[in-house]
Parts: sequence; C-alpha cells; structure tokens
Amino acid sequence: MTKKNASYGIIRDLDFKVPGVRAGYGVIYIVCVVALLVGVLPMLWVVFSGFKTIKEFVVSTNVLPATLDMDKYVGTWTHLKFGRYYLNSFASVAGSLGCAIFFNGLLGYAFSKIKPAGWKIIYGLVMAALLIPATTSIVPLFLNITRLHMNGTFLPLWLSMGANAFYVVLFKNFFDSLPNSLIEAAKLDGCSDFSIFHRIAVPLSRAIVVVIAIYAVIAAWSDFLLPYLVLNQSGHETVMVRLFQFRNGKTSDIDILRAIVFVIIPPTLLFLIFQKQITQVSVQSGIKG
Amino acid sequence: MNTASLAQSKNKASMGTSFRKNLPGWLLMLPSIVLFLFFVWEPLLESVRLSLYQSEGMRLVQFVGLQNYVDVFHDPDFPPAMRNTVYYTLWSLVIGFCVPMILAVLINETRGGRSLFKIGIYLPNIVPGMAMVLMWGFIFKPGNAGILNVLLSYIGIGPQPWLTNPAWTIPLIVIILTWQGAGATALLYIAGLQGIDPELYDAAIMDGAGIWKRVRYITLPNLFNLARTLLILQIISVFQILYQPLVMTNGGPNNASISIMQLVWKYAFEKYDYPKAGAVSVLISLILVVLTVAYFKLSKEKDL
Repeated sequence: MTKKNASYGIIRDLDFKVPGVRAGYGVIYIVCVVALLVGVLPMLWVVFSGFKTIKEFVVSTNVLPATLDMDKYVGTWTHLKFGRYYLNSFASVAGSLGCAIFFNGLLGYAFSKIKPAGWKIIYGLVMAALLIPATTSIVPLFLNITRLHMNGTFLPLWLSMGANAFYVVLFKNFFDSLPNSLIEAAKLDGCSDFSIFHRIAVPLSRAIVVVIAIYAVIAAWSDFLLPYLVLNQSGHETVMVRLFQFRNGKTSDIDILRAIVFVIIPPTLLFLIFQKQITQVSVQSGIKG
Repeated sequence: MNTASLAQSKNKASMGTSFRKNLPGWLLMLPSIVLFLFFVWEPLLESVRLSLYQSEGMRLVQFVGLQNYVDVFHDPDFPPAMRNTVYYTLWSLVIGFCVPMILAVLINETRGGRSLFKIGIYLPNIVPGMAMVLMWGFIFKPGNAGILNVLLSYIGIGPQPWLTNPAWTIPLIVIILTWQGAGATALLYIAGLQGIDPELYDAAIMDGAGIWKRVRYITLPNLFNLARTLLILQIISVFQILYQPLVMTNGGPNNASISIMQLVWKYAFEKYDYPKAGAVSVLISLILVVLTVAYFKLSKEKDL
C-alpha cells in the first residue's frame, strides 16, 4: 500500500466542500486531542503531584504544586531505599530478557526451519498455552517452585520468561519469512542444524530479537504476581512487589506517589525510544494471533 | 535373502536415519519444552489434581473427590465473586468495546498529527499494572483534595465518593481498564481500517453514498471480523481481573467488587487452602475454554 492511499479515510477531499463536514471534521479533531490528553494527563498529574508536600497533597485543592523541588523526589528515593529495588528489578529483567530470547527463539526456529518429526504436537501444545491463561495455574506453579526450594531467587522468574507462547509464535512467524534456500545451501555445505541456527539464523534475526527484547523487558519489569509469590519478604523484592507492600505499610501517600513515578519512568523511556517497533508489533501480532 | 527380510532391513535403516535426522531438532527444542512443561503444562494439569485433594500446608493428604468444589459453591463469597465477574465483563462490553473502535475510526480520519495521537493513546498501555492501579487509586481519592473532586469543584459539582460507592466501583474499574487497554486495541483497528481498499470508498462516492452510508456499508462491515476476535479476547482477559479489585478496593466495599480470580488469591495466599484455590482455578479455566472454543468456532466460519 502506498503512503498516499494509507492517508485516505472515509471523508474525502470533495466532502470538505460541505460546511457541515468541515465542522464535523473539527469535532473529530477535538475528540482526538481530548483522547490524547486523557491518555497522557493522568501520568503528568502524578509526576507534578510528586512535587507537593504531604500537607499540600492531603488538603490543598490546587492542581499544581507550589514548588518544583527535586529534593522531594531524591528524599523519597533514599528514604524508601529505592535503589535497591531498582537493582533487584534490573537483575530480574536482565535474566528474563536472556531467557525470553534464547529459549523461545530456539523453539520458534525449530518449528519454522527444522520441523523434526512430531513437531506439530509440541506446536499444538504451545498454541494451547497461548489461549489458556497462565493466571489460573499460578497456585500449582507456586507449589512446584516452593518444593524445588527456588523461592527467594530470581531463577524461576528468569526461566518462566523462557516459556512464553506469544514470543514463540512471533519468532516462528519471523523465521517463516526467511528463505529456505539459505538453509538448504548451508546444509549442502555440511553445516549442522545448530551451526545453521548459530551462524545464519541468529545474525539475520536482529529485527525480531530487538522487538522481543523490548517486549520482554517491559513485561518483566511490570510483572507482579509471580515475583510477589517468589520474592516477597526475601530481600530481593522487585519494584512491583515493593509497590504492593505499600498497601499494608506505614508509608505516606506522597512517598507512594513518588514511588509510582520511579516505577513508570523506565518503561516510558523505553517506549518513547522504541515507539515505532512497539506499536508495529502490537498490530502485527494482534491480527495474526 | 528373501524380499520380506530385505524390506525389513531397509525399513530399519530408514528408521535409523530418520532418528538421526530428527534428533538434532528435538535436542534444540528440548530445553524450551522442559520450561513449558514446568511453567505451563504441568501446573495446568496439577491444578485439576490439586482440586480433588485435601491438604495440610503443601502436602496433599487425602483424596476427597469433588468436595472442594461443593465447599467453594457454598462459600458466601462465591456468589458475589461470580456475579461481579459477570458484571465486570458486561460493563467492559458496554464501555470498553466501543471506545477503541470509535477512537480508531476518528484518528484514521485526521490529516496531520496522527502518529502523535497513536503514541498518546498507546502510552497508558505500558504503565505497569500495579503502578496504574495505585495511580488511579489516588486520582479517585474521595474528599475535597482528590484531583477529580478538585476538577469537579471548578464546574460547581460537590465531592463524589468514587470507589467507595458500591454502585460505582465496578464501572469505575472498567473505565480504568479501558483507559489502559483502549489505545493498543485502537491501533489494531487502525491497521484494519488501513487495510480497507480505498477504491471501495471511491465506488461508493460514485454511487452517491454520503459519509454515514460509507461508514455503515463499508467501514463497519470490514471491521466486523476483527471486532469479533477482539471482543472474545477482551471477555477472556476481563474475566481474570485481579489487581484492580485486589489493590484498589480489596474486593469491597462489602464484597461489591470482589472478582473470581480474587477468590483464588484469597484461598491460596490468605487462607493457604490450596486445593480450594485449585478448584476455583479449574472452574475459571473451564469457563475460558468454553469461550475459547466458541471463539474458534466463530472465527473459522469466516477467516480473518
């Protein structure tokens, strides 16, 4: 589809001769701007409210804070020892990222290019996992992890990202688009399956790896249920687990509000940098899946 | 050597080569298969077994058949949890289903700033669930200093109780869900809209079709399949709602917002009654499997 065609909507240039249509277009535009503001303003409000003092936050009816004093954020950061939770989250994210790419990539590649006899059975089971939500099996999973004494470590969080049906399907679709002739040629040259994967598939799949990496980082950073069950009270709590603990603690509202800002910043930065890749994949995957 | 034994030995040889041919592939898949077994497939089956036993802590002590299911049905929390989950789903159909579609059609009409609109509406989707829930808890704060009540006071409306009003809790939570999810869904619809052949519109204009007629006879029919898919995916995801009632209202006021997933949480991690948690999980899975099968039946009729 050419770019010019893509910009065509229902309302065409000719329609704009009618004054009613022009007014209608104005209304449409205003609605879109309002939608944009509704999307963005709650987060801006949190950031600005974080600059308020606790007294301001609890009683003042002003929308904006009296001063923009960074020390308040710094104070909360040190008071809540947020650096520690950031480090825990980084550790969890880094391992999850590696597992997400390695294990799902390998499986997606096997489904797409090697297809050993019987692969369809495994593929069917993976697709079933895509449709049956993981949350319903969280209790037995938690019991299994506990029985293996993996509580309090990042290991189950890392490995759990290696069994993600959605990423497997994305990888498979990508490898399906690589020409088979490349693989055949390498086979004739005597390459083994593993060295074909390692020397040909991996270097060619940078685009999909970047996309899955972004997805995995945001997912691992945002994940709550499993990290809570595995890491709660272990000293290795991630930022999400810490946020949940505020529910029962004595932390002041304003400190919680600033903690929310700390938690939102990393994925937002990632999104703003990679917004093109993120929005495109969500479109592709949504229609195919 | 007769022909039969020749064929047999040939067969053996080919089985050998086929084994040797397939082995590397299976070895490549093995690590991932082990992970799927541990994290996905086994727990799914285990929750069925778990639900049929009585336990002491984590140890299963006695097979009790369907007793856990009977107990769950008689739990006073069960009817409200079930009812509320249906309400969440219904409200999400009323509020959450139409918003992204309308948003997509409108944004697709804009000439200029479209990518900015797309980024803006998608942004809420990357806010981590736990942070989002706490954030909206503050926005919906009752009393004079809550931000929404401050804004309302500008247009002369008194402070509202928001989430502490049982009649409002579920619709408000659905509004928050919509705030988070609508942008991502709208992008899917926009992609669908971009896929409509512009010549269809040209032909309609030739025939004298006005804007409404084009929407009615071209745009909406073309979005129908996508909308049906997204509808079922939405029902499946809202059915498992947990964080919002858990953190924002703790299922209250007075069980007005407790969800079926929250019942699992209560059994497992507040009462440590794992078999009953398993029983509720199995019930949820069964309902979702039925919905999923219905979804596949529907989407097979007319492929996307």
